[in-house]
Amino acid sequence: MPGERSRKPTAIILSAIFLFALVMGAGPGSLLIAPPGSEPPLWFGMPALYLWAVLWFFVEAAVVIIAACTLWQKEED
Amino acid sequence: MDIILAATDLGHAPHVVLVCYLLILLGLGIVGYLRGKATEEDYYLAGRGQGLLVTSLTIMATFFSGVALLGFPGMVYQHGVSAMFLALNLPVAGAAVYLLGNGIRKLGKARGYVSPGDMIAGYYGGSMIRIVAAVLGILYVLPYIIIQIKAGGLLAQTLFGEDMYNTGAVALSAVTLVYVLVGGMRSVAWTDVLQGLLLLSGAVLAGIAVIASMGGPGEFFAKVAQLDPKQLTMHDPAESKWNPWWILTFCLFGSLASIVQPAQWMRFYAARSSKILRRSAVIFAVVLPACFLFGIMLVGLGGRALHPPMDPSLPLNAANLPEGLKKADQIAVFMLREELPVMLGGLGIVLVSIIMVAIMAASMSTADSNLHALGGVITRDIYDQKNPNASQKERAWVGRIVIIVTTLLALLIVYLGENSEFGEGLLKTIGQFFFAAMAFSCQLVPVAVDMLYIRRGTRAGAIAGMITGGAVVLVTLFLTGTNTIDTIKRVIDMGGLALAFNVLVFILVSLFTRKPDPEHIAAFKRDLS
Repeated sequence: MPGERSRKPTAIILSAIFLFALVMGAGPGSLLIAPPGSEPPLWFGMPALYLWAVLWFFVEAAVVIIAACTLWQKEED
Repeated sequence: MDIILAATDLGHAPHVVLVCYLLILLGLGIVGYLRGKATEEDYYLAGRGQGLLVTSLTIMATFFSGVALLGFPGMVYQHGVSAMFLALNLPVAGAAVYLLGNGIRKLGKARGYVSPGDMIAGYYGGSMIRIVAAVLGILYVLPYIIIQIKAGGLLAQTLFGEDMYNTGAVALSAVTLVYVLVGGMRSVAWTDVLQGLLLLSGAVLAGIAVIASMGGPGEFFAKVAQLDPKQLTMHDPAESKWNPWWILTFCLFGSLASIVQPAQWMRFYAARSSKILRRSAVIFAVVLPACFLFGIMLVGLGGRALHPPMDPSLPLNAANLPEGLKKADQIAVFMLREELPVMLGGLGIVLVSIIMVAIMAASMSTADSNLHALGGVITRDIYDQKNPNASQKERAWVGRIVIIVTTLLALLIVYLGENSEFGEGLLKTIGQFFFAAMAFSCQLVPVAVDMLYIRRGTRAGAIAGMITGGAVVLVTLFLTGTNTIDTIKRVIDMGGLALAFNVLVFILVSLFTRKPDPEHIAAFKRDLS
């Protein structure tokens, strides 16, 4: 189906961004910011690790919103 | 989830708030009954017609138990910012609400499914697979019900006094039982709307209150920045499970486990349309983590800054915690009862009472959803198989009897747990199963993905995979003390580990066993489109 084919690249890109966000946020990516035993950095007076979690939450949430407004909506149409 | 008896006198405010809350719940239960029909589909799935508000809030309220408002701040108090990364599992679960839930909804509507076992047995065929799926579901549902009833007793102790444990547990069970029995899914979901709103507002309110009481965001983060460095960095896998590897596997698999558990599965059947599940998925993925990251989780961080343990290197037991705080997961209640009345006077007392009732609401919404789902699973997957000619009314009544018996049994266990040595041991074992509950339900993920997307698995493969996964959970649950097992458990979430074995066995056995009839698969695919 042509519709399905045109959705596939978007689905792959969004899935890749979502997985990347998970690996960078909840996964080993967090070691780049505050590995065990290090002196914890502060960003804007806040613990950098907390802001790191917030940043990747925004990325994950944005991917879900974009998927819902594009891929999933088209699927229903 | 022991809860403290703080010194602050809250007067009659908690009584008034709690009585109002319970009366509203009973009212919603009665309205649900009056609007319902005496059919099995209506009792279990509210006629498959639930709209956006009900669907989104009942999914969120079912997802989180009392642990959400007590356990999360407790984890952050104990392990620091690393525990806050658990919130990143929520967008994964949100996406799964649509990606798994919508297919489940479509098949349920097209084929009249009520329980998860209906769909799994409908696709793979045979009754054995239905029983295996039901057992995995029950292993998730039962410990949740018992622990939530226990939480009701502990909350009553907090609000009304030390001797109110049994009364609290009975009151929570009795009110829940009434509205589940009379109104089925309609009442459960409507009460979940109220409970979900309380949970979300309680989470946000608690965060705002603690930040304000510490002098605003600037002062709050200035105090947090002075915490022990270990609280502000990731942990080493050699020392603790709060390391990126365990957190990543939990975010991937824990979230999916909670989305395919029986009560959620039945909520997908009950949603009216794809559009409603799509919007519910977005609300789940955005609102819920925001309430945690910017609300209740910050309470744990502020608590650690204001009330640190005497010696951070020692276990956080009552002797090592500040006076009045017996366990880390009491920190939210401890902070709120100390700070809010001082800061806001009478309004603070009302707010504390609302947050306490929100904790109870979180427990009740999980207990009611799981009780209701248990009734459905046992009726459809066990009773109906022995009595295929039973009438719709009879089936709905069997579900109700299951719900009554389970509630009484759970109450008995909770009572014995507080009053006898045998009961204490039993409750402790159930507590262990509670922590493994998600790992059990996680074993339904491969069959759900196969039915909805891949369609290459076989019945034998699915059964072998689920049994292997369940067995791995049991082995890892009870095998501790050896270096290898403990190291593995610190690096991989138990559900994820069992899922890996499940998938491997599922694929291997499916390669060598008979696949479902291609026409049968094509018909399933058509119903999904």
